[in-house]
Amino acid sequence: MAVRNDLRLLKSSAWLGWQMEANWTDPFLFATYSIVKPIAGTLILVFMYLVITGGETANDFFSYMYVGNALYMFVAEVLFGVTWVIHDDREHYMTLKHVYIAPMNFYIYIFGRSAIKIAITSFGVLITLAFGVLALGVGIDLGAVDWLLLTASLAVGLLCICILGLAMGGVSFLTAKHSIGINEGLAGVFYVMSGVVFPITILPSWAQTISKFLPVTYWMEVVRRAIEPAVMEGLAASSGYDVTGMGDMSNLTLMLLLLVSAGVFFIMSIGVFRVADNIARKKGKVDWTTAY
Amino acid sequence: MSEGPLMRNLRTIRGRAYPRLIGSTREPSWFFFDVVLPLFTIAGYAYVYRFLEADAEFIGYVVLGGAMTAFWLNILWSMASQLYWEKEIGNLSLYLMAPTSRMSILGGMAVGGLVETTIQAAATVVVGVIAFDVIFSLGSPVTLLVVFVVTMIALYGMGMMFASLYLLLGREAYHLSSLMMEPVYFATGFYFPVRSLGRWAAAGASIIPITLGLDAMRQLIFPVGADDAFLSVNTEIAVLCVLCVVFMVLARYALRYMEHLGKTTGRLTLRWQ
Amino acid sequence: MQHAVETQSLTRVFRPKKKREGKVVTALDSVDLRIDRGELFGILGPNGAGKTTILKILSTLLLPTSGKAYVAGFDVAKNLLEVRKRINMVSGGEISGYGLLTVRENLWMFSQFYGLKSKEAHQRIDVLLEKFGLRDKDKEKVRTLSTGQRQKMNVIRGFVTNPEIIFLDEPTLGLDVNAARTVREFVVDWIREDSSRTVLLTTHYMMEADELCNRIAIIDDGKILACDTPHNLKKLVRMNSTLTLSVGGLKDINDFSSIPGIDNFSSAKDAGGNETTLRFILEDESAVSDIVSTVLGKGSKILSLQKTEPTLEDVFIKLVGRGLE
Ligand SMILES: Nc1ncnc2c1ncn2[C@@H]1O[C@H](COP(=O)(O)OP(=O)(O)OP(=O)(O)O)[C@@H](O)[C@H]1O
Ligand SMILES: [Mg+2]
Repeated sequence: MAVRNDLRLLKSSAWLGWQMEANWTDPFLFATYSIVKPIAGTLILVFMYLVITGGETANDFFSYMYVGNALYMFVAEVLFGVTWVIHDDREHYMTLKHVYIAPMNFYIYIFGRSAIKIAITSFGVLITLAFGVLALGVGIDLGAVDWLLLTASLAVGLLCICILGLAMGGVSFLTAKHSIGINEGLAGVFYVMSGVVFPITILPSWAQTISKFLPVTYWMEVVRRAIEPAVMEGLAASSGYDVTGMGDMSNLTLMLLLLVSAGVFFIMSIGVFRVADNIARKKGKVDWTTAY
Repeated sequence: MSEGPLMRNLRTIRGRAYPRLIGSTREPSWFFFDVVLPLFTIAGYAYVYRFLEADAEFIGYVVLGGAMTAFWLNILWSMASQLYWEKEIGNLSLYLMAPTSRMSILGGMAVGGLVETTIQAAATVVVGVIAFDVIFSLGSPVTLLVVFVVTMIALYGMGMMFASLYLLLGREAYHLSSLMMEPVYFATGFYFPVRSLGRWAAAGASIIPITLGLDAMRQLIFPVGADDAFLSVNTEIAVLCVLCVVFMVLARYALRYMEHLGKTTGRLTLRWQ
Repeated sequence: MQHAVETQSLTRVFRPKKKREGKVVTALDSVDLRIDRGELFGILGPNGAGKTTILKILSTLLLPTSGKAYVAGFDVAKNLLEVRKRINMVSGGEISGYGLLTVRENLWMFSQFYGLKSKEAHQRIDVLLEKFGLRDKDKEKVRTLSTGQRQKMNVIRGFVTNPEIIFLDEPTLGLDVNAARTVREFVVDWIREDSSRTVLLTTHYMMEADELCNRIAIIDDGKILACDTPHNLKKLVRMNSTLTLSVGGLKDINDFSSIPGIDNFSSAKDAGGNETTLRFILEDESAVSDIVSTVLGKGSKILSLQKTEPTLEDVFIKLVGRGLE
């Protein structure tokens, strides 16, 4: 039974992922570690805000920024995590070649290994949001959250990012020690162009055109509407123009756009991975180490 | 065979720096990865400031800070965890067996990394300044150079110390470096004037040489930078000089201690931990 | 004259990091060795015997738990620099250097740590590359080398600095017959060139030890069991002849050790598991008939039978109590 084998593989690679991610220390230290990083990253933004506005954080602008930044952790960490699996296996454990020649589904192995990353990141996102609500007055009202919309958009978005990570992992076969950098690049594109911490409408118009092709743009908007509907309405009302550039779209239209753009990225990513994988084998780069 | 310890150590530095210097030309993709990538973060934060309608110099701070992160990354990933990595691939025992100072080997790594990273950071600054129309004024280039040099000596001294402390680590090395990214980006004020953290926090953050180095550079490069200063440039230079000495001494001490410990327990040359 | 290498009751104990995990290993147990200049000295022993541990201590990478070790008259625990100036080490299977550098650049880089002038280093690199047939590879990146080529490069790395004493830890590991011969011949020539040079080599290839070494120490479980020239070592078992039998369908080897007149014996099965090679060291020729009848009594067939002169392997079996494979 192929499916059962795949499930078993998924389980064992998830276990392996957990061993590699968490087994280096005791759970307490590990939890601290998983919290400190995201909070510190968030604090950078908080202080940038404080320096300019001189103190007040309980307003819609701040909530918009804060939530976007927290959600972005998914993009960065998962994208990074999937590729890291490939990079790490190759450069540090030098096991990639063994994994690679094993008669199993490479995709499933990679996702198993990354599943744990998603779990850890979710934890970090939750902590960050909780910190925001409790300490900084970020406007999330649990009663007002649209759970259905949230679940649906999270699922589509995460799957899309995973596949992107895989594509980047393929590319990393080809790009020496910088392999992780290419993900940062892609994550960077999303950060700047997808309305993560500022609305896309302040970008130059050529950049806004690019934004409209990125699934993350729609994802950010949908998820925000799901968890902080009041903030989104308040923001639109107080700025007096369509500040996010998507104000006139319904939730359904946004979901649709998310699905379509994610689908396109999905297919492109699989293609990129295949091509990269092929080139890597042609050039014999699967088991290279490239540090200096 | 050779002229004595001084020449031997100088050659060691040159020898170990060589792969780093040649490395970036062998893999020309560095331009994209090391120059273009930081620009995304810079662009992101620059637009945040724009969104918040901040004064123009803040964009400049972001460009400068973003370029300087390259040095911190170099310290974490190519200094601190380097000896651990050398141990894994088997070079460490060859280094330790050679009749040369370990400090020279670390020094070679540092020199190579410093040159490599300076080129990257400079390129990032140039592109950033052009892309975001940053206005700057170089009132006293000599002081700026002094600040940069002492900051780098102190910083790479710190990197050498980390490298020694990491020597006996296993896989924790990666996590430790990873843990020192965001928190340090935050505490050293890469993207906002460190003064806004409050006096005591800023003073604490000053243990990392980039904090004061960056604060001094902001004052020297931007016309209104002095308004956001934590300490005066001269004080900062003085503190950085102290840090230089402290970190170099600590690095040497830590290296000796860890090497001795490693040789006693047998973990020094053990691989695949 | 000073010994090139001298150890006095050299002992090395490895303790586990945490008390409960693993047990204490005594890798070296009161090892006394005296190696003179000009000697090509071999340490022969099974896996885990402590060979690498000796070399690590002598090359200043590991401290002894107790006892003393001197290289060129200098204490390896105290006069580190003086020792290091005079030695180098090559290990089989090492992957040193940076894959991004070329063969020449890697060799040059390591020579710099010994303070060689660049010009001199390049001249020596040229000579050695030539000798090892790697001349045409000098501008290739190390990561494109085959395992054997890489090992040759490692050997060159060790000799480029012209050490007084070189430690070779299974230097021919992973090399094919030709490449291994190149390395062996090089080592023999190298030591003949200058009588002040010394080689300390570990191996578990009997042939290699027999062919190369002036003297051999046999080590097992951290203890030196014998130390002499190959010729004298073989004399240890000269009194005894060796009987080798190929036996088909042997089920167990239980009763052999109780046969009178047998000093020691080993057995090995072939890949198929049908054929067993039994090797007996005889104290008394009369044991032959008992051996044969025991084999037949077990319902097995004798496929071949041979009486031979002692080899190093026999010495090894006698001392260690088991074969090397
Ligand atoms: N760093 C270490 N920590 C703990 N135990 C060690 C360490 N190094 C060696 N040992 C143990 O000491 C013993 C001797 O090891 P050593 O490497 O010297 O053997 P060897 O003779 O070189 O074997 P081989 O032929 O397999 O290379 C082994 O039992 C080994 O497990
Ligand atoms: Mg060994």
